[in-house]
Amino acid sequence: MKFAYGSAAYVLVIIATAALALGQSSKKTAENDEAGTIAVMDHIWLNAAHNRDPGTMEWLFAKDFVEIHPGGEIVDKKEQIDQIRDPSRQIKEIHPDDIDVRYISSDVAMLLDTTTIRGLSGGVDYNGTYKVIRVFVKEQGRWKAAGAGIAPIKP
Amino acid sequence: MKGFQLTALAAILMFAPLAFAQTQPNSSAEEETLKKFDHNWLDAEKRLDIAYCEKNFADSYVLVFPNGQVYTKKQWLDILRGPDHPVITFLDPEDIKVHLHGNVAILTDHTTLKGHDSKGNSMDGEFNVFRVVIKKDGNWQAAGVVMNALAAKK
Repeated sequence: MKFAYGSAAYVLVIIATAALALGQSSKKTAENDEAGTIAVMDHIWLNAAHNRDPGTMEWLFAKDFVEIHPGGEIVDKKEQIDQIRDPSRQIKEIHPDDIDVRYISSDVAMLLDTTTIRGLSGGVDYNGTYKVIRVFVKEQGRWKAAGAGIAPIKP
Repeated sequence: MKGFQLTALAAILMFAPLAFAQTQPNSSAEEETLKKFDHNWLDAEKRLDIAYCEKNFADSYVLVFPNGQVYTKKQWLDILRGPDHPVITFLDPEDIKVHLHGNVAILTDHTTLKGHDSKGNSMDGEFNVFRVVIKKDGNWQAAGVVMNALAAKK
């Protein structure tokens, strides 16, 4: 009888542990899936900049979007999209590497990437690599870009 | 009976907005909290208050210097607590703008820094700074910083 109780307790512990492990692993998988989505959003963002696609930026950026450019210029959503539309600005190449999703929750994500840019803007040469923090927020079930801070990597 | 029902209805109508206000924090009050957080954060770094930073920096904290150098929370706090820590005599954020998105806020500010590194090299400068603050378990925590040096005024 004592053995039967012992076995039952043993089985319960195994079931509880397995359920816990399963729960943790499914949570981890969900986080990995979300992190993958955020990495894709990073590429969509920079592709839109490269392709001069204000429609995608309008869709992607949150209403209160803010970005600090290299040199310290602070722009809001409208100003950033207007710059993308500006024909005097040329982006020959822009892409992210080393995307590191530093923080992710159900409604907030923050990543760090290395962005390579080749281009001219207002006569200023933007060729180089940059360290960038990008922030995403989930609004009505959809991830949106909330902002970015960009600093040039100096040799 | 009718009087009781009317009193109950009046009480519900009176307390409902109060309960709603408590669940929806006033955004301007939250903005003030975040501006104060920015000041407290820089004050703590200036006086090398590692305990404050340990408590109020998220584990995911990352700091990007104007030259693109990146530090994690551990790397940055190891510098502040180490023998080669910088000496900061003035560190003040001005013109703080709060962009609040629920559980994350992006702050932009103009920070003035005066001080020197452990070798005596000047660190004086003016910076436009991008700060990420996340709300976790009801508390705001510093999660990210990108500093951009502004050209010296002529």
